[in-house]
Amino acid sequence: MNIFNQTGRYFALLLKVFSRPERHSLYIRQTFNEIENLGIQSVGIVVIISVFMGGIMTLQVAYNMINPLLPTTLIGLGNRDSLILEFSSTIMGLIMAGKIGANITAEIGSMKVTEQIDSLEIMGVNSAGYLILPKIIAVVLIFPMLYILSVFFGILGGLIVGPAVGAVSAPDYLAGIQFAFNPYYVTFSLIKCLVFGFLIASVSAFFGYTVEGGAFDVGTASTRAVVNTNILILVSDLILTQLLL
Amino acid sequence: MIKISNIYKSFEEKDVLKNISKEFRKGETNLIIGRSGSGKTVLLKSIVGLLEVDSGHIFYDDRNFTSMNLKMRKKLRQEMGMVFQGGALFDSLTVEENIRFPLDMFSRLSPGEKQKQVDFCLDRVNINDAHKKFPSEISGGMQKRVAIARAIVLNPKYLFCDEPNSGLDPETSILIDDLIHQITVDLQITTIINTHDMNSVMEIGDNILFISEGEMCWEGNRQEILSTENQKLQEFVFANKQYQKIRDDKMNE
Repeated sequence: MNIFNQTGRYFALLLKVFSRPERHSLYIRQTFNEIENLGIQSVGIVVIISVFMGGIMTLQVAYNMINPLLPTTLIGLGNRDSLILEFSSTIMGLIMAGKIGANITAEIGSMKVTEQIDSLEIMGVNSAGYLILPKIIAVVLIFPMLYILSVFFGILGGLIVGPAVGAVSAPDYLAGIQFAFNPYYVTFSLIKCLVFGFLIASVSAFFGYTVEGGAFDVGTASTRAVVNTNILILVSDLILTQLLL
Repeated sequence: MIKISNIYKSFEEKDVLKNISKEFRKGETNLIIGRSGSGKTVLLKSIVGLLEVDSGHIFYDDRNFTSMNLKMRKKLRQEMGMVFQGGALFDSLTVEENIRFPLDMFSRLSPGEKQKQVDFCLDRVNINDAHKKFPSEISGGMQKRVAIARAIVLNPKYLFCDEPNSGLDPETSILIDDLIHQITVDLQITTIINTHDMNSVMEIGDNILFISEGEMCWEGNRQEILSTENQKLQEFVFANKQYQKIRDDKMNE
């Protein structure tokens, strides 16, 4: 029963979030702030994770290619497609659920327990709209860009690590990443990123907005937000892969 | 003027407010007093609509708040200001931005006019040097004063204060009480304050409602409170020995 109750409350909150803003200019300003806070400040971690992810993927593909008849260009191709199709979207989504999602839950949850949300309501402001809508827009906008950045740095990671350990030569790797490229894979992953971005922002905001109690409960809500967002990302990944690929 | 009639509120099986009726007058500091857990905050939050009452009516100058839809309530709320127990200032905004926020959201004033209004409100609460500071960088008493400034920036008709003195030293408490009283009289607004601080009661209690276990037990003013015959109110007021002494002195006169 609890899951139906939670789902109902989630959609009721979304209805409130997408109601008409009181002052568009303030919402737009807030959206740019969120792009900076949630998006730009995630660039560093995305770059670091992607470089290592690309490097490790390159090593693993090389390690598994024991058949000498297979050309080493496949190492680049394997790394590229893994990054484009799954790693830079889904794995990055799971990581971002931890970073951005926990941040959103903690921020909104703290505002709830310190009565800042009540304070907005008393002023006549739609607190859900003002606090959550800019975050959803910001994450949905920024996540596809982080994805592209992740693919780029993942491939770069492979280019650094592969030749450095002698797993693949740089020309073979570069030839591999250009071989049999299917642009639809990128489109598919960008669609996934939009969905993941929406889930990360909205589910995390829901757990923050509905928190009751004090600091301990905000911490618990953050954990629940990350766990639930991760599950929803994986479920939606499965559904989208079946539908779109 | 705010009038509440026959207010009932319960959480699950527990009745928190039972048949409360009262008229809170304009230009006076109306106090809701009672022990911790007596239902004061629930009553205040019900009056402002943060909690829905189970039954009863709330009138803001003859406008029935309980029968209003969300849109009408939002409009009416622009006539309200509220000071929360912890101040509830927005952490991410400076003092100045906190006060400007309602203006940015609801007024059509030019940036210069907004700044003038912000400065006026900060001046009103005697804050002159904290414009650019964040709430975490100022004291609790200053936070309360900033919260009052934010509450009055849109020239509200109704001001609500939930335990404005909690966590403050006696001197700052008196300053806050005087400030709220002054603003109430000067702007001729209807102010409702939730408190269990007897100093506040004796300082600014123009119109007092005492509730105990969710029930309305007594109403009167600060002059009448010391000579009350109400048993529950006596237990509340004279828990502090100082007030026992004041009463005894008064009776000996």
